[in-house]
Amino acid sequence: MERNRFKNWLRNIYETQDEEISCTECFHLVSHFVELETSGENAAAKMPHLKQHLDQCRACRDEYEMLLALTRFENEGGAPSIDDLRSSIR
Amino acid sequence: MSPTRTNEEWLADLRASGEVQEAAISDLRDLLLRATLYFFSRNLGDFGGMNRDEILQRAEDGAQEALIAVLNHLSDFRGDSKFTTWAYKFAINIALMTARRERWKDVSLDELSFSDDGAFFEWMMHDKSPGLAPDQSAMQGEVRAIIEEVIERDLTDKQRHILIMMVFNEVPMDEVVRRLGMNRNAIYKMLHDARRKLKGGLQARGFEVDETLALFSAEG
Repeated sequence: MERNRFKNWLRNIYETQDEEISCTECFHLVSHFVELETSGENAAAKMPHLKQHLDQCRACRDEYEMLLALTRFENEGGAPSIDDLRSSIR
Repeated sequence: MSPTRTNEEWLADLRASGEVQEAAISDLRDLLLRATLYFFSRNLGDFGGMNRDEILQRAEDGAQEALIAVLNHLSDFRGDSKFTTWAYKFAINIALMTARRERWKDVSLDELSFSDDGAFFEWMMHDKSPGLAPDQSAMQGEVRAIIEEVIERDLTDKQRHILIMMVFNEVPMDEVVRRLGMNRNAIYKMLHDARRKLKGGLQARGFEVDETLALFSAEG
């Protein structure tokens, strides 16, 4: 576990760019990124700066992953109802 | 289930008045509550000290806060995604902050900043890979020594502090933001600058990316 963490961190160090977008810019752009992804487009190729930020920033990545999951659910018509979600919390 | 609206209909209805606007706001609030509950239901471990009613109340509060944020930012919506995807991100952002705050609320800043005179470096040094040839092992040691040197010599106190909290102690970004009274952008910039210095330090000593990653990837 520790070894993987160190390795991942090392990779993050090497993937560092001179210019990287901020968390605020990421927040503005991430819904478009998710839209491209759920439309079957290559979002990472079209928005490399955003992809780079998501690879480096755990907080923004957590939000992105949740947004992607929720959008996919909705697009497939399978989003859980509020009542189902309430019931799942105990 | 909320009625389906196009992006244009969402904007028009939310900017309308009377019953049309009320219905749109009510539907939007339901969407945001659903996003919040969805996030909470997948991060229940963050709410260990709370009972069900308290968690549900937090979800209601979060959805309300997200609703206000969405309505205040309507003019920022550029139509490059579904309106609902755009709106969800406000709820998820608030839900994430709420959950992380709950999980870390009883941990002191000292504990979050714990570094114990070199524990950070011990973390790296203890992480010896088994079964490596002596020269590879020596090179791994060199990489770690360079990292240690850059952290101690080239980083500012603040960069080092934030690096130890987030990389070593895995404290979430929003908790660091809250404890240090900074914002995400400032914290991210600190880490970005630290990474640039570390990358520069490694490259200046001849450790390029492929070689170095291979050195640490040759293990099981």
